Amino acid sequence: MEPQSKRRKEAESDNADSWVALPVLSDQQSQDTELIPAVAAPITDKKETSRLIKELRSLYPLTGLTHIKRVRSHKLADGLYSPQVLVCLVSDAPDVDLHSESLAIESLLPPDIVGLEGLGLPFLVKIPAFPPLTRPQFQLASKHWPTTFHEDKQVTVALRGELFGGPQKARMQGYMEAALAAARAAAGLGSGQEPVGAAMVDPKEERILAVGHDCRGGNPLHHAVMVCIDLVARGQGGGAYSFEKYPACTAAMSPTSSHSIPAAETSKTTARVVEEGQPYICTGYDLYVTREPCVMCAMALVHSRIGRVFYGTASADGALGTKYKIHAQKDLNHRFDVFEGVLSQQCKDLYGLKDPIKH
Amino acid sequence: MGTETEMNGADLKPGFCPTDGEIEKWMASAFDMAKDALENREVPVGCLMVYNNQVVGKGRNEVNETKNATRHAEMVALDQVLEWCRHDDVDPQSVCMRTVLYVTVEPCIMCAAALRLLHIPVVVYGCGNERFGGCGSVLDVSAAQLPHTGTAFKCVAGYRAQEAVEMLKAFYKQENPNAPKPKARKD
Ligand SMILES: [Zn+2]
Ligand SMILES: [Zn+2]
Repeated sequence: MEPQSKRRKEAESDNADSWVALPVLSDQQSQDTELIPAVAAPITDKKETSRLIKELRSLYPLTGLTHIKRVRSHKLADGLYSPQVLVCLVSDAPDVDLHSESLAIESLLPPDIVGLEGLGLPFLVKIPAFPPLTRPQFQLASKHWPTTFHEDKQVTVALRGELFGGPQKARMQGYMEAALAAARAAAGLGSGQEPVGAAMVDPKEERILAVGHDCRGGNPLHHAVMVCIDLVARGQGGGAYSFEKYPACTAAMSPTSSHSIPAAETSKTTARVVEEGQPYICTGYDLYVTREPCVMCAMALVHSRIGRVFYGTASADGALGTKYKIHAQKDLNHRFDVFEGVLSQQCKDLYGLKDPIKH
Repeated sequence: MGTETEMNGADLKPGFCPTDGEIEKWMASAFDMAKDALENREVPVGCLMVYNNQVVGKGRNEVNETKNATRHAEMVALDQVLEWCRHDDVDPQSVCMRTVLYVTVEPCIMCAAALRLLHIPVVVYGCGNERFGGCGSVLDVSAAQLPHTGTAFKCVAGYRAQEAVEMLKAFYKQENPNAPKPKARKD
């Protein structure tokens, strides 16, 4: 990147308009529309429509495709609209040569079950295989064949980058700035630290609970996220790491700690299952981290029952969007929302601080 | 089925993989640890790390006392290996590259990634971990293409699996009868 534009971008750092936090959705929510081939036919006499639908439904119920609308209004070349009905899936008619010039409608529709009055010549179409989960998916699916759509308004707003209003964005920026400052402190230490920082926030109290940075120079597993989790534990009277050498890693000793973790949950007798008999110490908290967490850190956040994660920029082996979407993994017992892009340019610029001596 | 084993993951220099005798010996220790834990009403998972025929790390779950949900037995054991290296002033990576983890239950996704980050080459385990397993049960972090996340490792799975499952079941029965079961790994 040009140094000129870099400086300009940095000058914008107090401007919350310079970044947008977008949701990192599950594969099902973000994948392209999958299509399956089907046979449709024009309805040439509208008065026959409801009878045709009824008879076609009983012959070809289109099981598992409840999102598909049976009839669409199709715009013709002359600008007029004409109704078309879905006859069946291509897989419903294995013995019919669907690629012949004119599809033999009688072979699809036995006259004793479906009366052919009002039905035109059938043709091939492609229809969406799955119900759309987001508005962009709905819009793409609708280009092929109309579907129903149960809209999650919050996802729609989030995908437009409008989930967080002005004051909220200003607070989010403040939290990420704390993480950025920690990342720069890590870079300043040299000795193998990566320039990564993280801040744990209690969004209800609008309070930073812990700020940590990568400490892998001292222990290869002490990534910024792991450090931040341990700092939160420390703030609650626990903790396992030593932070003597890392003054920029700080935990707020919480006067409310006895409230935030019910004593019962920390007692050994409530240990539930293997690797789960634990205080869910990050329940309801937000983590701000300058770059996308790795697999270890992402799963550590699952174990800690994190509320939401905001990261600045993606990472090569990242596990919250890039290589895995651990926050949306079906078989895991805890899911959470993830957003990418908070102060993304400043977070990307951290890579320039990277210790040139690779340990 | 308790003694069935399977292999996957990275190829190693021939000769590095532990012998049947070593597996039997060290897994016996791991199972003793798990039994001990069960008798003390702790999560019955035994875990030890062996380098050069000596135990350099031995962990048990420390989640409750540290209030840190990431202090799984394997994470504790890995920290002990690093501490052992510091104490003996040897290069951690060269030690880890020749260290085998013996554990009664499949490591979770987090621990599997940590094992990769430290370049542990072989993991021998008993039963699968249906809820969190990182060696194939939920995700296969052990063998995945993750060039920036250490080295893939080889798994020897299924050793005394049924016994490991029984211990966990016994633990659930005394702690929480509604908790779901692990699986005796055999796919
Ligand atoms: Zn990490
Ligand atoms: Zn684990």
